[in-house]
Parts: sequence; C-alpha cells; structure tokens
Amino acid sequence: MTSWSLVLILIWLGAFVAGQLFFKRAMEVSRAAGFRTRRTILILGIGILMMTISFLLNLGLLQRFDLSYLYPFQGASVIIITLLAAIVLKERLTPRLIIGTLFITAGVVLVSMSYHRP
Amino acid sequence: MPERPSGFANPWFQFVLNIVGVVIYELLLKAGAAATADPTNKWSWIGITALVSPLTWLAIGVIIVDLVIWLYILKYIPLSIAFPLSRAVDVLVPISCWLILREAISPLRWCGIALVIIGLAIVAKPAAQLEERL
Repeated sequence: MTSWSLVLILIWLGAFVAGQLFFKRAMEVSRAAGFRTRRTILILGIGILMMTISFLLNLGLLQRFDLSYLYPFQGASVIIITLLAAIVLKERLTPRLIIGTLFITAGVVLVSMSYHRP
Repeated sequence: MPERPSGFANPWFQFVLNIVGVVIYELLLKAGAAATADPTNKWSWIGITALVSPLTWLAIGVIIVDLVIWLYILKYIPLSIAFPLSRAVDVLVPISCWLILREAISPLRWCGIALVIIGLAIVAKPAAQLEERL
C-alpha cells in the first residue's frame, strides 16, 4: 500500500464517521422539531455530503483492493463512532457495550492485517 | 425514546433489511468497480470511472433505499448500539466475497471474523435491554 492510498483510506473513514454522527443528530433534531425544518435538513444535508465523499473514495479504492480486504477498514470506525456517540451525542455507554465494540474492532483489525500474510 | 412501531415498521426488522441491503450493494459495487478498473486513469482514484458500469448505478439505488432505512433505524435506536451491530456486515461481506466472488480468506482473517461474531454477541445484550425499555 502506498502512503497515497493510506491518506485516501483515512479521508474515506473520517467522512464516513462524520456522516454517521450527522445522520443521528439529524434524526434527533427531527424528533424534537420535525423533519421538514431547516435545521434537520441542513444537518442531514451535511451528513449526505460526507457520505457521498466517502462513497466516491470507496469506489476508487475498490478498483485497487479486494473488497474483503478493504471493506473491514470501515469496521475500525466502530469504536470511533461508539465513543463519539457518547461524547458528542451524549449517548449512554455501558462497560459491556464498550467490551463488545472492542471485540468487533479487534476482529476487524485482524481481518485487515491478514491481507499482509496470505 | 419514541414508542416503537410494530410489524414491518419495527426498527429491528428494518435493521435486518438494512444489513441485507449493505451486503448486496457492496457486492454490486465491487463487481461494478472490477468491470471498469483502469488504474492508468488518474480519475479512477476518486471512483468516477466506476460510474460507467450499470452495476454501480444499481448499487447506488440500493444504497439510497438503505440510507432511508438507516435513518429510520437511527430515529429509534442509539447510534452507539445500532452502529456496532451493523458491523454484522463485516462478517457477512467477506463470507459473501468468498462464496460469490471467489476471493480467498486466510486463517487469520477467519479468526478476525470469529472475533467480530463474539463482539456482536456481547453487544446484543445491551440491545436486548434497550428493547425491554422500548
């Protein structure tokens, strides 16, 4: 993997994580203020923009790597999204949820590492 | 927490639909990308070249439907529970690649898949507790 492809993978992941947080926030706002409010549509729009960036980068990366290698990188976002949901969105985390999330993340990292030792 | 709809509108039923949708569109995207792969084209890095494949557009259709379902799920389920559980696709996608696209899975990768399954089982408990509160 070149450093250029690593940069693209990081942007892909960052846009994906941000998109998920904006989506959840938009749904929270829609519950409180209604779906067709300017605020809901603005937050949802930013989420969709983030996801579009992430989607296009995903396509470019898919042309160079096996899906079963590339895709689980997205799984590394599990722990990031769970922690940010607690910090930014004030969701309640239990120790069990954190442990389960760490298992999923570890599994995903192992899946990614195995690419280098076929 | 809003009252949980039942039947087809049940967020957990929609959750299963969402995961099936992700597996389908990932396979379609890979098939579309592989059919149009041209590493010599500098634009291919941002994925534009894959857009000439009808498979890619079919995938985009599935993604849009899946996005609507996902937003619906997020209305009822916290992101810190819904997102880790949605990683069931990290098990289903490599296994589907192995079965359908004939991509190889190493023993180490199988171990990773097993860890993800254990993690999902652990996260399923808080999800069940959430269900009790709904």
